[in-house]
Amino acid sequence: MALATTLTLGCKKQLEEKPYGFLSTTNFYKTEADANSALIYAYSILPDLDYYSRNFIVLTELPTEDVAAASGKSADEMLLDQLSVTATNGILAPAYQFPYVGINRANLVIKYVPNITAIAAASKNEILGEALTLRALHYFNLVRLFGAVPLHTDPVDDISQTNLKKSPMKDIYDQIIADLTKATGIMDQTVRMGRVNQVGAWGLLSKVYLTLASAKASGSPGYDFVTSADDMYTNAKTWADKVVNGQTVYGLDPNLVAIYDVNKKLGPEHLFDASVDRLGVDEGQYSKLPLFFMPNLNFRLPNGTYVPGGFNEFLTEPGIYNSFDAADKRKTQLIISIIYDVGDAGGNKGPTQILSITDSYYRPFSNKFNDSGWQTGQQTSANTPILRFSDVLLVYAEAAGPTTDGYAAVNRIRARAGLGNLPPGLSVTQFRDAVIQERSWELSFEGNRLFDLRRSHKMESVLKDTYGKTISGDPYYFPIPQAEVNKNPNL
Amino acid sequence: MRKYFYTTCMCILLLWFSAITAYAQQRQITGTVADQDGLTLPGVSIKLKGGTAQTGTDNQGKFSISVPAGENTLVFSFIGMQTKEVKAGPNQTKIQVTLQNAPRDLNEVVVVGYGTAKKRDVTGSVGSIKGSDLIKTPAASVDALLQGKVPGLQVISSSGQPGSGSTIRIRGLGSRADANPLVVVDGLPLGDAGNLKQINPDDIESIDVLKDASSAAIYGSRGANGVIMVTTKKGKLGTSRINFSSLTTLSTLGNKLDVFHDPVEAATIDNQARINAGIAPLFIGQNYGGTYYPSLAELRGIDPNKPKWATNTDWAKLVYRNPVSQNYTLSADGGNEKTKYAISGNYYNEQGLAIKNGYQKYAGHVYLEQKLKPNVTLGTNITVTQTQNYGQGLSADRSIIFPAYNPDGTYFHIGSNDFGNPLQIANEVLNKSKTIDFLGTAFVSWDIIKGLNLRSQLSYTYGNAVNDNYQPRDATSTGYLFQGYGDINNYNGNHLINENYLTYDRDFGTKHHINVVAGYTQETNTVRTSDLQGHGFVNDVLQNENMASATTQFINNGLTKTALQSFIGRANYSFMGRYLFTFTGRADGSSVFGENHKWAFFPSGAVAWKVNEEAFMKNITQVSEFKIRGSYGLTGNQGISPYQSLATLGSYKYFTDGGFQTGYGPPYYNDGSNVNSKVFNGLQNKSLKWETTRQLDIGFDLGLLNQRFTLTADYYYKHTTDLLRQNQIALSSGFSVIEVNDGTIDNRGLELTANAQVLTGKFSWNVGGNISFNRNKVIAIGGGNQIEANGQDIEAIRAPLNYYINGQPANVFLGYKFDGIVQTPGGTNPVDGSAATVGDIKYVAGGPIAVGQGEYVIGNPNPKFYYGFNTSFKYSSFDLYVQFYGVQGNDIFNFSKFTPSAQLQAWTPDNPTNLYPSVNATRVYYSSNWYVQSGSYLRLQNVNLGYTLKANLVKGISNFRIYFSGTNLYTFTKFSPSFDPEVGENGQFGGNYRKPRQYSLGLNASF
Repeated sequence: MALATTLTLGCKKQLEEKPYGFLSTTNFYKTEADANSALIYAYSILPDLDYYSRNFIVLTELPTEDVAAASGKSADEMLLDQLSVTATNGILAPAYQFPYVGINRANLVIKYVPNITAIAAASKNEILGEALTLRALHYFNLVRLFGAVPLHTDPVDDISQTNLKKSPMKDIYDQIIADLTKATGIMDQTVRMGRVNQVGAWGLLSKVYLTLASAKASGSPGYDFVTSADDMYTNAKTWADKVVNGQTVYGLDPNLVAIYDVNKKLGPEHLFDASVDRLGVDEGQYSKLPLFFMPNLNFRLPNGTYVPGGFNEFLTEPGIYNSFDAADKRKTQLIISIIYDVGDAGGNKGPTQILSITDSYYRPFSNKFNDSGWQTGQQTSANTPILRFSDVLLVYAEAAGPTTDGYAAVNRIRARAGLGNLPPGLSVTQFRDAVIQERSWELSFEGNRLFDLRRSHKMESVLKDTYGKTISGDPYYFPIPQAEVNKNPNL
Repeated sequence: MRKYFYTTCMCILLLWFSAITAYAQQRQITGTVADQDGLTLPGVSIKLKGGTAQTGTDNQGKFSISVPAGENTLVFSFIGMQTKEVKAGPNQTKIQVTLQNAPRDLNEVVVVGYGTAKKRDVTGSVGSIKGSDLIKTPAASVDALLQGKVPGLQVISSSGQPGSGSTIRIRGLGSRADANPLVVVDGLPLGDAGNLKQINPDDIESIDVLKDASSAAIYGSRGANGVIMVTTKKGKLGTSRINFSSLTTLSTLGNKLDVFHDPVEAATIDNQARINAGIAPLFIGQNYGGTYYPSLAELRGIDPNKPKWATNTDWAKLVYRNPVSQNYTLSADGGNEKTKYAISGNYYNEQGLAIKNGYQKYAGHVYLEQKLKPNVTLGTNITVTQTQNYGQGLSADRSIIFPAYNPDGTYFHIGSNDFGNPLQIANEVLNKSKTIDFLGTAFVSWDIIKGLNLRSQLSYTYGNAVNDNYQPRDATSTGYLFQGYGDINNYNGNHLINENYLTYDRDFGTKHHINVVAGYTQETNTVRTSDLQGHGFVNDVLQNENMASATTQFINNGLTKTALQSFIGRANYSFMGRYLFTFTGRADGSSVFGENHKWAFFPSGAVAWKVNEEAFMKNITQVSEFKIRGSYGLTGNQGISPYQSLATLGSYKYFTDGGFQTGYGPPYYNDGSNVNSKVFNGLQNKSLKWETTRQLDIGFDLGLLNQRFTLTADYYYKHTTDLLRQNQIALSSGFSVIEVNDGTIDNRGLELTANAQVLTGKFSWNVGGNISFNRNKVIAIGGGNQIEANGQDIEAIRAPLNYYINGQPANVFLGYKFDGIVQTPGGTNPVDGSAATVGDIKYVAGGPIAVGQGEYVIGNPNPKFYYGFNTSFKYSSFDLYVQFYGVQGNDIFNFSKFTPSAQLQAWTPDNPTNLYPSVNATRVYYSSNWYVQSGSYLRLQNVNLGYTLKANLVKGISNFRIYFSGTNLYTFTKFSPSFDPEVGENGQFGGNYRKPRQYSLGLNASF
C-alpha cells in the first residue's frame, strides 16, 4: 500500500500582516467620504470626558468664584480650587494631552485632504477650513492654560517626531491667527450641528485678538510680545463685527432658557458646541457633565425633569451667586434653587427642598447643563458650548470700548437678562471692566471666567482680594504636566 | 541561511510508504509475568529482540507471542520495573517471568518536545510528574493540581470560583507582556498555561515541565516562560481495561466571615462614620432617599414609641451554601501488536459556594494508533470538550439592618440607587458562558531505515465561546444606566499546525550514541470575535434574547490572523554513556514581529556528566545515580498582539447633523479605568520583536541506595532583555504609548527536590518535598526610566499600587509610611496638605521615590520561597497521603483590612488606638504600609485516605479503591483570618471569590 501526500508549505508572504477590519493610512484619505470621516474623527475628541464634557470645565471653573469642589472629592480638585496646582495634578495631564490628540487629527486632515482629487472644491475647502479652526481652538486652549508649548503642525507618524521643543507664545498665537485667517477665507456659513462654520471661525479669531489686546493692555504676564494693544482691539472688533453685523445666520436668542434646551441645539446662539447625545455608547458620545452640578439626590427640576441623582461634584460659590442682581434672569432662570419630589424613587411625590447658597452640601446649581429628555441613567444630551453668539457680542463690546457700538452691544445682553443699561460716560477701563464682569454673569459655568481673569490680569485682585480665595501657585499658567516633562527631554 | 528563508518558498514532499513483509516459519510462546511479590502484571510490553513481533500481558498477566523457529530472546518491559531479557530455547513454549522493581525513576521517560528521552539521559532541567500522582483533589483544570508538585513552577489560584483558572509562573516573572508558560498537549502547542480546561486530568499520563534554556529552546520564541508538556494516555499493549472513577465533593466556606452580627453595632459605626465626616447620620429614625433608617434606640428596643427593630439579615446564609460537586470518568484502553487505543468520557459538575453559580464540563478523548506496516504507524488523537459556566460571585457584606425582600416580595433596595442586593443579582442577572473546544491530530510515523524515523502530524484546534449577559434595569448599576443592558459575545478560534521532523538515533561502536532531530513546522492562528450589545429594553422579560428590540444597538467584530514558521533542530551525543551533550536550536518567523525583524534564532547547549558511571565510582555501590548538568542558551517570548507594528486607524462616532457619524483616524483603546482611560496607541514600530531570555542552569541529580533516596538541585540565572512594553511617550505627540522592546528583568534561583522511601515492604512510608527560591529584579525598565507604574489608578488609594523600579523586584508596592493614628490636632497631612484631624492615619512622606510627595517601597508581593511536601503511607489495603503547600516572605496589600470587626476597634477619643483610624464616610485614603500584611502561609492542602480491595475479590474487578479526600483543610498564616492568603501575583487583595474547603469521597474501579 502506498500513500502519497504533498504539502506545499509557506513562504515569506505568510508572515506579512494584512490587518482585517483596520484601515491604514495607505488605503484611507482617498475619497470625499474619507475626508469627511477624518474630519468627524477630529471633532469627536471635543466631547470626550477628558475634554469639554468634564475635565476642561473642571479645570477652568474650579479655580474661579463660580464653583468649589465639594468636600470629600479628589485632592486634585481641592488643590485646583485653591490654585495650588503642581505638575503632578491629575487634572492637568488630560487637559494638556487631549488638545494635542485633536491637533494630530486635525493635522492629518490638513495634510492629506488637499491631495484628494475625488472631491468637490467647496467640500474640500470647508473640510480644510474646519480642520484649521479646530487646530486653532486647541492651540488657543493650550496657550491660555499652559503658555509656551510644543507646536506640531504636521501629523506625527514616527517616534522621532514626538519630542518637540516649546515654541514661544508668540509663535503659537501667530499659528492660531494664520490658521483662522486662512479658514475664514475658505469656509461657508451652513449650520451643521456640532460643527463650526465661517461665522464661528470669525468669532474665535475675534476672541483670540481680544485676548492679545487685553493681556497686553493689562500687563498680564507672558504677553510682552504683543506690539500694540490698540491694534489688537481693532482687529478683535473687526472680526467680531462680521459676526455681530456681517451675517444673518446667528443672533441673540430672546429666551435664555432656550439656549440650553437640548431640543433646540440649532438655536441662533450656537456658533460652536461639543456635541453629544444620550443615545451614545459611552461617555464622550453622551455627557455626564450636568451631574457634576447637581445634588446627589433623586429629585425633579422645576421643569419636571426627573434627575436620578447627581454627583454633587461642584458647589456653587457665594462669590458668583451673590454678585448677580436679584432681578438678573441669568440667576433667576439659569440657577436652580428649588427642587421637587426629593428622594423620589421614581413616580411618587416627595418633599420640596429649597437650596441655600450657604449649605455645606447641597447648593443652588447651574441649569445650563441639563437634559429635558433625561430618561433614567446618567446619559444626557447636554452639549458643552465652545462659542456662543453672546460671547462674541461681548467681545465686540469690549473691543469697541465705551463707544456707541460698545454700549449697544453690552446693553443688548443686559436687556435680555432683564437689567438696565450700563451707566453712560464710563472710562475705557471702567467700561471694559464692566464688560468683563458682564461676561462672568453671561458665560458663568461655561469655562470662560478663568481666561477672562487671566487676560485682564485680575486673578489676584478678583479671586484673592474680592472673594477671599487662596492662591499659592502661578495663577496665570498651569505647569506643564509631569507626564510630559518626564517624557520630553526637549522641553 | 536567512536569505534562503526570505527568497525561497519551501516545499516538502511526504513520500512513499512501502514495506516488505517477510514470512518465515512461526511458533507460539505463552507465559505469565509477575512482580517480585508474585502479583501478576497486566500491560507488560513483550518484544522479540531483533524482530518485529510484540505483545503485552492481559489482565491476568498472561501473554502469547508468535516467534520464528529457533532460539529467541524476549524483552519484557514495564514502567517502574527493570527491563528484563529472557532467552527462550528452540523448543520452549512456556515462560514464567518475574520482573524486579526498577531503581526508581532512572528508566522513566520524559517528553522533551519533538521526542522523548530517558530521564537518566536528560541534560537539561525537566520537572516531571506522573498523572497518577495528580488526581488527589477535585479540579476542573490540571493547572491547579500542579501546585507544590514541581519545583520552579509556581501556581497561584486566588479564586475559588468554579472553573476559574490559575496563574502559572516558571522560574519567576520574566515578562511584562505575557509571562505565561506555553502548554503543549501531545506535541500540540496549545497556548498559555492557566486554564487547561480542554484536558480531563484523569486522561493525563504525565506532565513534564521544561524549565531551562536547553530543554525549552526547542520552542524558540515561545519558550522563555518555560513549557509544560502534557501527555495523555495512549493505551498499553496486551490489556483491555475499563476504568471508572468518581469523586463527590462537599464544599464549605474556607474562612469564617467577618461581618456585623448586631444591627446596633452596624448602625453605630455607620452613624459615627458620617458624623466624623461632617455629614448628618442616617440612623436617627428618619426617611431618607425613600428608605426608613431606624434610630439606635429603636434598634436596641428602648424607644418607647417603637417596637424593637426586627430585621437582622444573615446575608451569608442567604448567599452562600454548602454545595455538592461531582466528577465522573469512564475510560477504556488497551492494545495489541497492531492497534492501541484509549477512549474516555468525563462529566464534571462543580457547584460554587455562591448560590446559582456553577460550572459543568463534558470531555471526551479518543486516541487510536494503527500499525499499517511494520515500520509505518498512523494515528489520531482527538479531544472534545464542552463547558458551561453560569452565575457569579456574591458578597455577604451588605447591611444586616435591612431585609432582603420587601413585604410584597420584591427585592429590597436601600435608596433608589442601590444595586447591591446579592439575591437579586443571583436571580436576575444573566451571566452565562459556553465553550466548545476540539483538538484533533492525525500523525504518521515512518521508520525509514534503521534509526531514522520521520514523523509528520497535522493538528487542528477549534475553540468557540459564547457569553450571554443581561442586566435588568433595577438589579445593577449598568442595567440602570442603560435601562436594561444585554450582550452576546462570540469568540471563534482556529489553529492549524503542521509539524514534520526526522529523528536519527544510532549507536556508533560501543562508545558513541547520537540522537538528532530536525524538522520544519508551521502554524496559523485565526481568531474571530463579535459582540452584540443592546441598551434600553422595553422590559426585562426576554433578557438578551431579542437584541433587535433594544433602543440602541452596538455591534463590534474583529478578526486577527497570526502565522508562525519554524525550523527546529536538536543533537544529542553521548560518549561512553557518561558524557552527554545536547545542542538545540529553533528559528522562528512570526507575523507579529515588525517588518525589520521577521526571523529569530534561539540556540542552546547543555552538558551532563554521569559521575556514577565512572570507574572510580563503581565500588561506591550506595550511589545509584550522580549526574552533574549544565546548560546555557537563548529562548524567546513573542507575547505581542497582532498588528502592533503597523500604523492602523480606529474609529469613533460624533453626534452631528442629527445623528452619529463615524470618523476614522489614529486609534485608541480604553484601559478600563473610569477616567483618563483612553490610551492613544496608533504609532507604528517596524522594529518590534521578541523578548530574549538568556538562561544558565547548573544542577545535579543524586540517587542513593538504588534510588531509595534521591535529591535534585538546580541553580539558574535568567536574564531577560528587550522586554516588550508600552513606552509612554510625550503627551504633546497626540499619542500615549508605543510598543517597544527595551528593559531587562533578572530571575535567579535555587530549586531542590528530595524524595525518600523511608520504609519499604508491607508497611511503606515515602516522604517527598521540594522548595523553590526565586529572586526577581528589575534591572532596567527601559526608556531610561527609573520607575513605572504597573496598572491604573486604584479608586481606594487614588494612585497605582504596583511599580517597576530599577533594582527592585517587579510589582513592589509604593506608598507612604504609616506612623500610627493622629492623636492630637494641629498637624498637616503631608500627602495632600490638608489639616490632619484626630483619628486619621498619620502618614510619613518625603520618601526616596519621587512619586506624589515622596513615597517608599512598602511591600513586595514576590515570595522569598515556595515549597510543597508530602508523605504517604501504605499498609495492607490502606493508603494515606498528606500534602502541604506553603509560600513564604511575600506581602499582601489588603484593601479589605478595615473589616467590621476592625471597625469596632476603630480609633475614638475613648479608644486612642494606633492600629486603626476612626471610621469616616468620606475620608480619602492613600497607599501606606498600614494596609500591608504578611502573605506567608502553609496550607494543609490535601489528606487522602484510601482503601483498596484485593484484586479479583469480585470477579472481573481487577482494582477497586475507595478514598476520602480533604482539600484546603487548614492554613497557617498571619493574614486576616477571614480571608484566604492565596492572592494574585500583584499582591493586591480586595475580596475575591471565597475558596472552599472540600471533602470528597472517591472511587476508582478497573474491570
